[in-house]
Amino acid sequence: MTSGTVSSQRVVSRSSTKRRRPYALWARKIWVSSWLIVVLFALWWVLSAGSTNFFIPPLQTILEVLARDLTNGVILSGAVYSLTNLFVGLMVAAILGIGLGLLLGEVRWLRGTVDPILHFFRSIPQAALVPMIIGVFGIGQSPKMGTIAFACLWPILLNTIDGVLGVDPTVRKFSRVYRIPKNMHFRRVVLPAAMPQISAGIGVALPIGITVMVVSEMFASVEGLGYYILNSSATFNVPETWAGALLVGVIGYIISLFYGVIEKRTLAWYYASGAP
Amino acid sequence: MNSLPASRFWLWGRRIAAVVILLLLWQIAIMSDSLPSMLPSVAQMLSGIGEALGSKVFWSSLGGTLQAALIAWLLASIVGVLAGLLIGSTPFAYRSTHILIDFGRAFPVLALMPVVIMLLGANTTMQVVVVGLSCVWPVLVQTIHGVKRQEAAVMDTVAIYQIPKLLKFRRVLLPAAFPFIATGIRISASIAILVAVGVEVISQAPGIGRQITLMQQAQRWDLAFAYLFFAGLIGWLIAVVLQRMETRLLIWKRQHND
Repeated sequence: MTSGTVSSQRVVSRSSTKRRRPYALWARKIWVSSWLIVVLFALWWVLSAGSTNFFIPPLQTILEVLARDLTNGVILSGAVYSLTNLFVGLMVAAILGIGLGLLLGEVRWLRGTVDPILHFFRSIPQAALVPMIIGVFGIGQSPKMGTIAFACLWPILLNTIDGVLGVDPTVRKFSRVYRIPKNMHFRRVVLPAAMPQISAGIGVALPIGITVMVVSEMFASVEGLGYYILNSSATFNVPETWAGALLVGVIGYIISLFYGVIEKRTLAWYYASGAP
Repeated sequence: MNSLPASRFWLWGRRIAAVVILLLLWQIAIMSDSLPSMLPSVAQMLSGIGEALGSKVFWSSLGGTLQAALIAWLLASIVGVLAGLLIGSTPFAYRSTHILIDFGRAFPVLALMPVVIMLLGANTTMQVVVVGLSCVWPVLVQTIHGVKRQEAAVMDTVAIYQIPKLLKFRRVLLPAAFPFIATGIRISASIAILVAVGVEVISQAPGIGRQITLMQQAQRWDLAFAYLFFAGLIGWLIAVVLQRMETRLLIWKRQHND
């Protein structure tokens, strides 16, 4: 069994899938990619079932608590609060990051000048900003949005710059030769060409934003998912703490999946072009 | 062109001017009372940085943060590379784990911290666990990607010449995956510092992040800014050094690409 034969077998089976569309193969595919999760889940369920350790409650209890708080609206209102912060913060970061990125990508001397400053700000630990910004601007909602925006700005900005630098020189020359107006050059030439890279930057910013969102609510807040987790751990409601942490993880995963779908749709032309 | 001394000189002149302008803007904002009054002026920030450099607390908290980040980074790199080689080279393992890996990548590990604190306590072990869980993913994902991305022609050659498994692993898979692994390890180093400081901000674990919170609560904003400055500086230095090392290590790869 060498890898050569394995890969040729795979090609054969794939083409037969297309011809006959057997749904059994679909089911098999789903099973192969999810059996481990099912096994781990079952293991957790069984091993924790009789747990007497106060800090490791049975998985059943965690899920019951999660279902209870999901249906009575405790978590839901917190999630709405958190996700609003995340959304607004990300939007601000995207607008600023893409705008500044286009500018810095096009203007060489400016880019060289501020390069060290950008990299310094990017390296500041996002979570460490939380106590500072909240200490200065209070525990309201807008400082949290601001912190998320600040943390998400740098990956979007740096990726936009990279994207602008990656625009095909020939395309650039064409744009200049045809005297495309500056405004149109930005909107119709540079922006679309940089879009895959910009979108990758937003993809990097997304988990950072979620982390900062949770941290900002753990630090000083009376609302949100982070508060739910911190408050339940402070009051020794251990199943609630587990439930909150799990839920944030699931939300993070769903958001990243969702973003992946949007990215595939909007950048369909890019993937269709077969670019790496 | 950049190697010309004159143009380098101008570049750095402009860069320094940009920093000075930024500080001036800050100072003007402070003096015109358009920023909240607790924020330190430029002079206070500079003296804060000086005071931090001369204090024992600063060096011990810096050591604490770096130590936790370093241990977690090393552990995450070893685990990530080994698991990545295994998963990347067995299609079944890859198909079985990829949802789990995507889930782990998207998981905001800091949200899990209260749980980890309950299990382990607010100490360095907890910090290493949380940091390790955060920075293992880039290494793992990059390693898998690198191992899977073998050129078909090379693989066919290996198959035809019936190269033994171990030899193939050492001389074909590893070198080809190495650039990807190096990038993963570099990214995870930056994450390690960021998360290590983040853990200290929320929990009571000693280190730079803890000092930022403490100084801010004690209304010593100049020192809080100084600690924040050093946190950023260290992250930056590590990123620059590792980037240089990566470029140097992978010179053969770059030549190959051009």
